[in-house]
This record gives sequence, C-alpha cells and structure tokens, in this order.
Amino acid sequence: MAKSFHLDVVSPESIVWSGDAEMLVTRTTEGEIGILADHEPTMAALATGSTVIHPAEGDRVTIALHGGFLQIFQNEVTLLTDRAEIADGDVEQARELAQAFAEAEDAGEIEA
Amino acid sequence: MASAELRLIRRRIRSVKSTMKITRAMELIAASRIVKAQQRVAAAQPYTDKMNEVIRNVAAASGSASHALLDARDVGTAGILAVTSDRGLAGAYNSAILRMAEARLIEYRVAGVDTRVYAIGRKAQAYFQYRGYQIEQAFLGVTDTPGYGDARAVANVVMNDYAEGTVDSIEVFTTRYVSALTQTPMQWPLLPIEPPETAKDSESATAPSGYTFEPNAEVILGRLLPRYVEAMAFGILLDASASEHAARRRAMKAATENADELVRILSRQANQARQAEITTEISEIVGGAEALTNG
Repeated sequence: MAKSFHLDVVSPESIVWSGDAEMLVTRTTEGEIGILADHEPTMAALATGSTVIHPAEGDRVTIALHGGFLQIFQNEVTLLTDRAEIADGDVEQARELAQAFAEAEDAGEIEA
Repeated sequence: MASAELRLIRRRIRSVKSTMKITRAMELIAASRIVKAQQRVAAAQPYTDKMNEVIRNVAAASGSASHALLDARDVGTAGILAVTSDRGLAGAYNSAILRMAEARLIEYRVAGVDTRVYAIGRKAQAYFQYRGYQIEQAFLGVTDTPGYGDARAVANVVMNDYAEGTVDSIEVFTTRYVSALTQTPMQWPLLPIEPPETAKDSESATAPSGYTFEPNAEVILGRLLPRYVEAMAFGILLDASASEHAARRRAMKAATENADELVRILSRQANQARQAEITTEISEIVGGAEALTNG
C-alpha cells in the first residue's frame, strides 16, 4: 500500500472531506498539481475546477471547488476552499459544477 | 356593580393568556433556532482555525510581508460596524450593543475624529438614523440565518472603503456567544488586520522557511487576507445570530413566566369578586324574604 497523508478539505460553512489519502489531484492558479505523501511544504492558490482524491481506503472522491488555498505542511494537506462540494459523478461534472460556483459568485449571488 | 368588576378581570385574564401563547411560541421557536445557529458556529470553526494557521505560516515564512490591509495608519476617520438584529423582543440584546457603539462614537467626536457608521440589522439602522448619524450602509435581513455570502458582502464594503482611504479603521460591535446563558457584547477591531499571533509556544509548529509558494508569497497574501476578513465577518455574524436567538429565548421565557404569574393573581381576584357577588345576592334575598315575613 502506498504511503498516505492526512487531508482536510474545508469550506467556510463545513468540512467537506477529511481523512487519509494516497493521492490528490487539484488545480492551482499555476496549473494542475498532483500530490503524494511527503510533499515539500507548499502554499498555493487554488483555481476553479475539479479535485480528485484517492483515499487510503475506499473509492476515489471527486470534488468541485472554487477558489481558496492549498497548504502542505508536515504531511498534512489542507484545502481551504471558498466553496466546495462533493460531486457524484465524473470529473467533467465536477468541473461544470465548479464553473457554476464561479458564475454564481460573479453574479454576486453566492448562496449559503 | 360587582359583576362589572368580575367581567373586567375575566377579560384581562383572557388577554394575558393570549399574549402568553405568543410569547411561549416565540420562546420555543428561538430555542430551536439556537441549536441550529450553534451548529453553524461549530461547522465554521474548522475553516477559521485553518485560516489562522495558514496566515500564521505565510506571515512567518514570508518574513515582513506588507499588505494594505495589514498596515495600521493614523485614524482620521473611524468606521463603526454595529451588529444587531432586525427584530426586537430580544431583551437587552440590541440596546447593549447600541449603547456601546454610541459611547465609542461620542468618544471619537470628542477626540475630533470623523466617524462612519455601518449598520447590520434594522435595529442598528433605526437607532442611528433617529439620532442623526449618517449611515454609510445598512445590511438588513442577514442576522437571522447569516450565510457566507452575507459575510462576504459586508467584508467587501468595509474593505473597499478601507482600501480607498475613506475609513482608516473598522471596529465591530457585536455580541459574543459564550453559552446559552451568557452572551457578552464586545468590541472587536476588524481592520487593519491584526494578524493572529505568531505562535510562540512550540506546540503549533510554524512553517520552516523552506516553504514553496505558488505563484509567490505576495500574491498568496493578497488573496488570503480578504478571505481572512470574510471569515472573521462570517464568524461575527454567526455568533451574533446565535446570541440573538439565545437572548430572545430568555426574554420570551421571562415574559411567559410573568404572564403565568399574572394569570394566577388575576384569577384569585376574579374568584374574590365572584364570591363577593354571591354574598351580596344571598344577603339581598335573605333581606327581601325577611321584609316579606315581617310585613
């Protein structure tokens, strides 16, 4: 079994996902980034898009997220998102959902 | 006539009882809202904690990074943000905040500092308008169940004014939810940002200098700080909302108990009046019968 790291995905209103993961693929403003255990300490700004978590146990999870920050420190990864939601379905759907978040924000009607 | 008195008391009892029904309903509604509001406060906590941690790390790793929102400047115009409810019947909840905020405004006036008032909740708006303060912006309908979007709207307005230099500081007057029984009105500096203390105790380890920033520390900080203000505003609104419901529940509980007591007193009076009426009637009958037999 591959080495795992602790991952928290939090949004202002709740913890979206929390647990141990083997791999995380997300989008920063600089581009797509894949994270494995023992990544160097990093701080990055997140972009709008899909995030895929490969948990240590169970099926992989797809999350639509919009904006926020990624922090990696001592094998603890935190996604501090402006808005995130677990998307049932594939990456494409998550991407569309994230896009919808971004548009809702531009329209100034972010709902709780 | 005794029956008139009795009728009056009975009418009063009916009126008190119907008021009691209303206050009891409000008490129950507020009680159920507190639970929800508390859950929301708890749910927002992880984000706030993580945000503090990230800010600390960025601040520590990027050295003395500066940002407009961090720089304290001489206060020529002070911004006051008062957080109250839209509706009353919440005991001293609103008046405590408003008194505190106004005291501060007067302090500033004495010191010759200009002030700008931002109001959250209809009560704050009405209070300051009535006293002749100009309200820069009022946010209504947000305190009952505040969403993150509401917090963002508030944060954006004050941050914009701060960035443009129309205000040099923002102080928030709000109520902190300590427990179901205790809510304390308090004053809280929102802008300029006082960064969360760099943890001196080694428990929460600060980031090593080898942090990789993408794209760079400046950009991250520039994006991070507005989020931090939003998160603080959100926390303030959630706390205020929980406090409001708790204050209303307490006020309505007291009102219900009062009404109950009043009904007891009034029923006793009604019984006395009824008894007096009966006594009068009997003595009238007896008197009448006596007059007949004697005649």
